[in-house]
Amino acid sequence: MSFSELPHTADVRIRARSETLEGIFSDLTDALMQVMYGKFTAIRSETLVVKEVRVSGDDTASLLFNYLSEVLFLTEVGGIVFVRADVRVTGNKLHARLFGEVFDPARHSGGTEVKGISYSGLEVRNDANGYIAEIVFDV
Amino acid sequence: MLAGVVQKGELEWEVPIGFVPGMRVPGKFYLSARLEEILEEGAVRQLANVATLPGILCCSLAMPDIHWGYGFPIGGVAAFDLTEGVISPGGVGFDINCGVRLLATPLGQRDVAGRRDLIDAMYQAVPTGVGAKSSLRMDAKTLDGMMMKGARYAVEAGYGLPGDLVRCEENGFMKAADVKAVSGKARQRGVPQGGTLGSGNHFLEIQVVREIYDPEAAKAFGLAEGQVCCMIHCGSRGLGHQVCTDHIKILEESTRKYHIRLPDRQLACAPIGSPEGTAYFGAMAASANYAWANRQVITHAARNVFKKLFRIPHEEIPLIYDVAHNVAKIEEHTVDKKKRMVCVHRKGATRAFGPGCPDIPADLSSIGQPVIIPGSMGTPSFVLKGTRGAMEKTFGSTCHGAGRVMSRSQAKKKISGKEIAESLARQGIYVRAPNEAAISDEAPDVYKPSSEVVRVVHEAGISRLVARLDPVGVIKG
Repeated sequence: MSFSELPHTADVRIRARSETLEGIFSDLTDALMQVMYGKFTAIRSETLVVKEVRVSGDDTASLLFNYLSEVLFLTEVGGIVFVRADVRVTGNKLHARLFGEVFDPARHSGGTEVKGISYSGLEVRNDANGYIAEIVFDV
Repeated sequence: MLAGVVQKGELEWEVPIGFVPGMRVPGKFYLSARLEEILEEGAVRQLANVATLPGILCCSLAMPDIHWGYGFPIGGVAAFDLTEGVISPGGVGFDINCGVRLLATPLGQRDVAGRRDLIDAMYQAVPTGVGAKSSLRMDAKTLDGMMMKGARYAVEAGYGLPGDLVRCEENGFMKAADVKAVSGKARQRGVPQGGTLGSGNHFLEIQVVREIYDPEAAKAFGLAEGQVCCMIHCGSRGLGHQVCTDHIKILEESTRKYHIRLPDRQLACAPIGSPEGTAYFGAMAASANYAWANRQVITHAARNVFKKLFRIPHEEIPLIYDVAHNVAKIEEHTVDKKKRMVCVHRKGATRAFGPGCPDIPADLSSIGQPVIIPGSMGTPSFVLKGTRGAMEKTFGSTCHGAGRVMSRSQAKKKISGKEIAESLARQGIYVRAPNEAAISDEAPDVYKPSSEVVRVVHEAGISRLVARLDPVGVIKG
């Protein structure tokens, strides 16, 4: 897991770094969960709920926006806190399997609601070490 | 001040055409020297970017609580020609009709002093925080009703008094609501959250009217010194957030379709009368209505608490007013000395209609609209009145609150939620929240001082101070 929070006055700005593009999507899923539910220890894996996500986008930025917007929808409506995301990106299409646990107020109340994923400052780039993404969660 | 920004008066600043390429009108904002120190360059750039949008009238405006937002700066106001102009979710925000309402009780400060049970009971009565579920039995029909008729639907369903409606902006609902433009996903997010407060900066606060600046207006509004009030700050919850997300995607495409050149992708927009623009406006109005219904349901829960603990009937807890601070509306304004209908976007800004406006309650016609400005946790809130100055200068708009100056991560590092709660308790303010982070995120000093923000709008004449309210108890998500 590799993400960090950057300064932002009103919202939450995250930078993720990964060797692969898929890693960026997976790390930002973790970041979104941490912002919403705080830091928590995942429960044993055999009880996890699995959700599938399929989205497409015009470019990597819109793919990321569409993917995280879908994750946000699933977590809020399903009451599921995702602990792992297996992501596959093929061209402008994405398929992810998300593994989560059922929301438990006793363990998942350390965060703040995310209202939406923002295009504000949304950037995905790559360098010699891999990929870097910056994104703002509107809270 | 930033290079290129011109001072036009003690509190008025202009961002001239050319500050960013493609500006059609200048930018204008209100700020004092004290607030200037914390002005972000990014926010001024956003203000200038808004001035490039097609059909913008007069100028791109920002209130003294200006800060870096999504698309528009927070505190941003812009009016658009109905034919040439555009509508943009970036000018409304994710939390459509995030707003504030104020209830007045017949209680005095002595009645609530030390009554932690009042705050505890409010915390029990109003679902609060991440993952909190509605106590309402909601189905698709109820949701449609909330989206079509807003606060009116809630009142007709028994959650309030008929008199509440005339004390809401738009009488509690926008007629332009189009539930067909609201996606299935938005509905799914809306059903479990009806009547919930949410988290972040949303709160329910018990306050005491500590100072009256304008006795005539205060009396007309129904406020007296020493009186206990209840302020509710929340919005359209996941439903509005999803509507924003859905329509940003649609409007991204329509920006290309209508060949609109944007300096910033977040300003995705469509001509107001286009199918895409109309769909967004209809869905936004439906979300705004849901938010009004939401605040109405929470009002009912709060009145029940007062009834149970203090034996006060609901009728003795009138609604002073309810304002929206994230919304786009079709309103009549005078532009170039002619009255015309325009589309006003207010993004973290409050309508502040002055005396004589037909859209304010008849009994307040000679006074102006009540304007409610929430403070941050532990700091005073203010009631102001709308003015003719606002009608002339800001399309009838004023500030919406304090505006953040410190990020949440900085806030958490600086001071713990526990310390803040203890410090507030020493000042006689009792806070209930689901966790410490919810308190430290919203600590008093992460915000601009609300008193300075309202001083600026008061002295600039775009609204006038009526009363100050100090908190005694807060519940937040």
